Amino acid sequence: MRNRATTPLSKAKVRQSWSKFNLYNLSRIRSPPYRGRTFYQQKWTAKSILRDYHGEPVREAQWAKQLFRRRLNAVIPMDPTYMARNDGTIESSGRGSGLKDEDDFRGEIRKRMDKTIPYMNMTFAPLERRLDTAIFRALFASSTRQARQFVVHGAVKVNGKKMQYPGYLLNPGDMFQVEPQRVMFATGAPKVTKKSAATTDADSGEPLDEAESKPVEEEPAEEEEDDDDVDIEREPRELLKDLMSQAKSILSHERAKIGAKKKQDLRAFTKAVKRMLSRSTSSSVLTDSLEAQFEEIKNQLRIQKQQQKSGQAAADRAKAANESPDAPLAKAQVDAEAADPVTPDEKAIAEDKDANYLSDEDLKQLQLAFKSSSENPIDPRKPYATPWTPRDYMSAFAFIPRYLEVNQNICAAVYLRHPVVRPGLAEVPTPYGPDVNGTAFTWYLRRR
Amino acid sequence: MPPRAAVNIHNLSFKTSICTSCLRRDFSSTPAPQTRLRRQMFAWLQGPGESFRHPLPNSTNYLSAYNRQGKLLREGEDTPESTEDLRPFPLNKTFVSEAILSEDLRQEIWRRVQVEKKSVRTVSVELGVEMRRVGAVVRLVEVENQMREERKQLALPYARAIHEMLPTTPYSQSKVVRHESINDLPVHPLTDQQLFYPTSESRAFNRTDAGRVFSAATRLPDEQDVAQGGAAKQPWQDIQPEKVGKGKNEMDILKPADARIPHPHLIAFAKDQQELRGNDDEIKNRYTQRLEDDATSRAEARERKFAADEKRKTRVDTGRWQFVVTDVKVSRQGTGITGRGAASPGMRYGVPHEDRKKGQVKIPTRVEV
Repeated sequence: MRNRATTPLSKAKVRQSWSKFNLYNLSRIRSPPYRGRTFYQQKWTAKSILRDYHGEPVREAQWAKQLFRRRLNAVIPMDPTYMARNDGTIESSGRGSGLKDEDDFRGEIRKRMDKTIPYMNMTFAPLERRLDTAIFRALFASSTRQARQFVVHGAVKVNGKKMQYPGYLLNPGDMFQVEPQRVMFATGAPKVTKKSAATTDADSGEPLDEAESKPVEEEPAEEEEDDDDVDIEREPRELLKDLMSQAKSILSHERAKIGAKKKQDLRAFTKAVKRMLSRSTSSSVLTDSLEAQFEEIKNQLRIQKQQQKSGQAAADRAKAANESPDAPLAKAQVDAEAADPVTPDEKAIAEDKDANYLSDEDLKQLQLAFKSSSENPIDPRKPYATPWTPRDYMSAFAFIPRYLEVNQNICAAVYLRHPVVRPGLAEVPTPYGPDVNGTAFTWYLRRR
Repeated sequence: MPPRAAVNIHNLSFKTSICTSCLRRDFSSTPAPQTRLRRQMFAWLQGPGESFRHPLPNSTNYLSAYNRQGKLLREGEDTPESTEDLRPFPLNKTFVSEAILSEDLRQEIWRRVQVEKKSVRTVSVELGVEMRRVGAVVRLVEVENQMREERKQLALPYARAIHEMLPTTPYSQSKVVRHESINDLPVHPLTDQQLFYPTSESRAFNRTDAGRVFSAATRLPDEQDVAQGGAAKQPWQDIQPEKVGKGKNEMDILKPADARIPHPHLIAFAKDQQELRGNDDEIKNRYTQRLEDDATSRAEARERKFAADEKRKTRVDTGRWQFVVTDVKVSRQGTGITGRGAASPGMRYGVPHEDRKKGQVKIPTRVEV
């Protein structure tokens, strides 16, 4: 099928896509003019700009004859407390009897009816049932075209069975599932190779900053061999210090792309963790859960949780006792404290002189970094840039309409119901307001 | 195309902004000029559009949250978004990016249904999540657990990124944050028409009467009408189907909104709250009793239907296979006078299939679970 989903700059068309061209077009579109134009012209423009966005792979005749429906689904949220007070007699009682708004529920009723129902924005609702559109709406693909490709290439299942028709109309309750690796590829930043670095450079027409123009491609073979250069035989305290700074770097919320420093830290962190785990006495630790592995690391690094309040103070002093030059004096003080009737926990702390004490926050951070490094590792075999980061300009397009329930972990979603309109809110994502949608709706009523 | 003058690269001064990649191009020595439109686009992308390149930490990042110069309209990145900021399409004021369930809330829903064995209806009311969504969440978490057990690769970094980019409904034990409206009444096609129905002012005209008027049914006799002091069921319990019309024109009578909302029992609960103000134990007892009664009556109806279906089936167990033979009826109503009608099951001799005809759509219309 020829791809008609181009985004020309001369005529701003909004498409179902996350490309930067599309974002630029979306930022500059205006409502079409109506002054000095016949109604026919207005309708034509409205329907054509909306069809550029909605169901662009669907032929016009197919849409107009088979899919378009004049009946639009709406719901009204009901308040059971109000329904308990009033069985409807107030709404139907006589008008003009001198009643004022304050006298009864009338004010409340009026307030309830205040928001108009934007029915017209439901014009293209039937197209939201299409499988490819639903995959795009669930944020599993970066455009409907890509979603269509996933379906055709057999990466999508509906209710556990392979479905290769992008035009399959989902029924309420249908579950669709895309291969997680495809989703990571579609939504992740692209892998930068030498070739693609050159072309992106050419596209933007301006010299890129160094971090970006440098190819981030890694040498895959090196990974396994140079494990030995991480010295984990060192003092656990020094190792822990390094690990903590690396953890901070891994978790840092930088808005720029992942830089070389961050990658180095991630790699060093992963290697240290891996070597520590391989040194473990337990043979099953590598296949254990992440929690068990983290416990093992904690044991090897002799990490102890700092106690709150008095315990924390004691621990601080114990730490100071080990480090400060006048150690014997401080130690004696700590020992004296340990001799006092204290909780068993505190006693244990005072006894273990080699322990490294971490605050709750630091421990949490270390655990988070460990989790993130094992869940989102550097892997040169993947078709996307690793560690995975969302692709550029994704956040401006990221929303999930309420008629879908999505589980991102397994890249599966359930089509709960058909989209509906409610007072003040329409569920069909469409770039124009009710006026343009309404004009397009009248075009398809075929009374032009 | 007019002939182009060759450009000597070495003569070009690099102080002017020149496209460096063009110089690297293989087959042409001519620096391809950018069109005005492309220049404008890249100027926008490097100017105001730069804000959209990377997500804001723990916030949404839509076009309508910024002004034309690319400046965030709300005070700081840490201030929570208003509805204005949650519109992905600046021209469409009726579409808002609504919150999704947070990971905690999803796990809590699954726990209440699968571990605590609460009914979907109860969990829906407790957490303010639509019943269909509760069912879907349980189904998806079950699949997730199975995939974790099989050690299949999951998209965890992707999931975390999405949950940071979108508004989410949090879960906390102390305070329930309602996710969505759980009592949505679908607008019935019969109520689309505008009716003028003269009725006596001396008689109360309630939602039950309105439903009957819309479906052109006669008014309920006074002894069945709650509004006239009749001893019938409450409107929220009125789920028994009734028909009006004859033959082809037969249709269901539209029930009152009280019976058509997903949680009708909440009306009775609200009535209890008004009548038994302060007597919390009694209110709670009645509430649980009502839900229990509802669950048993539904289970009974399900069993009755299952038994009726089984009655039409003959099961032959051969040890290896179980054959299920369903009794069908081929009648004159189904086959029609010509004997070619398609309403009854089975092949019709001499009647070809339509699947080779022009314009027949082969895309399946449903996939059985």
